Amino acid sequence: MSDRVQSTVLPWVVLGVAVAIFVGWAIWPASALYARVLTPHRLVALAALLKLVYLLAGAAWAFACRDRLEEGNPARPAWFLLSLGLLSTFVGQLCLAPFQVVRNETPFPSVADIYYLLSYPLLIAALLVLLNAYRESGFPVGSGAERTAIAGVVAVIAAVVAVPILRPVAQTGGPLLDRMLNVAYPVLDLVLLLPLALLLRVALRLRGSRVGEVWLLVLSGFVFLCAGDICFAYFQSLGETHLDPFVHATYTLAYGLVAGGAHRQLELLTS
Amino acid sequence: MTTSDAVEAMVKVMGPYIGDTMARSATEAHCQKLGIAAGPLPTDRLDALLAKLGSGLNIFLGRDKSALVMAEVRRALATLEASR
Repeated sequence: MSDRVQSTVLPWVVLGVAVAIFVGWAIWPASALYARVLTPHRLVALAALLKLVYLLAGAAWAFACRDRLEEGNPARPAWFLLSLGLLSTFVGQLCLAPFQVVRNETPFPSVADIYYLLSYPLLIAALLVLLNAYRESGFPVGSGAERTAIAGVVAVIAAVVAVPILRPVAQTGGPLLDRMLNVAYPVLDLVLLLPLALLLRVALRLRGSRVGEVWLLVLSGFVFLCAGDICFAYFQSLGETHLDPFVHATYTLAYGLVAGGAHRQLELLTS
Repeated sequence: MTTSDAVEAMVKVMGPYIGDTMARSATEAHCQKLGIAAGPLPTDRLDALLAKLGSGLNIFLGRDKSALVMAEVRRALATLEASR
């Protein structure tokens, strides 16, 4: 295998294996492999480290994309905002990592939540700026009626999904701050879904291309981020901690995909 | 060179970067906006079309890469013209 292929394929193999390990942990937690070798403490530490690596790499590559785009390019601020959003998430994860690596604990709520919450306006703004940049490109992004229809469908789906998910989360008897955070994350994700759906529509038109590959990776990363937040809120508030491996799998996959997309975009800009 | 021949050549070059679907719909949308009809394509209209496509590609690829792709498009169009 050539160096080029190895450097392209290897990170995806690592990501795939890591996600498979976390999913396996959720399905067969009592098996010998997970009881003796891949113990919960080791896996939580592995997840913490992987998330840190992907988030830092993603933030750095997104910033490099911003740097490679000329001033005045409407996509430049979007990559900057994405970089800041990932960096904020990285700092949040950095606050949690010592607890996870050393003590096998994930304190909630904690100072990390400040940075996680801060990342949302940055990520939402990144998607909105990107949407505007694509509109300014003069390339077809769908008619106004089509965009309104997509926004309407997403809003309806969000409302239908939000009520059954958020009601039990909000009605649990935990401390108010816990409940507020457990509701805030999925709500912010639902806000994120709106520009995400519109961008996915654009990305479909780019399928089979190098730019399409970038956007497929970045946007699917955001989809998994939303899924991870919703799972986290649901499992946390209902005390279903045995399902945490799924949360680790979705977050690791989300950060890995976004970082991979930023890297592909950087390759495209520098090739 | 006819408009449809030029569009095919442009889609062939831009396709790997932004996909055949986007390349074709972007080119056809710009043709429509610039009032370019089927049949022979005048040079001044062709230049206007290439400028529009180039500025759109900037968003996705950045100025430098976009300029390289548009140069590739011009070469493909020159080859097409020479082969007639």
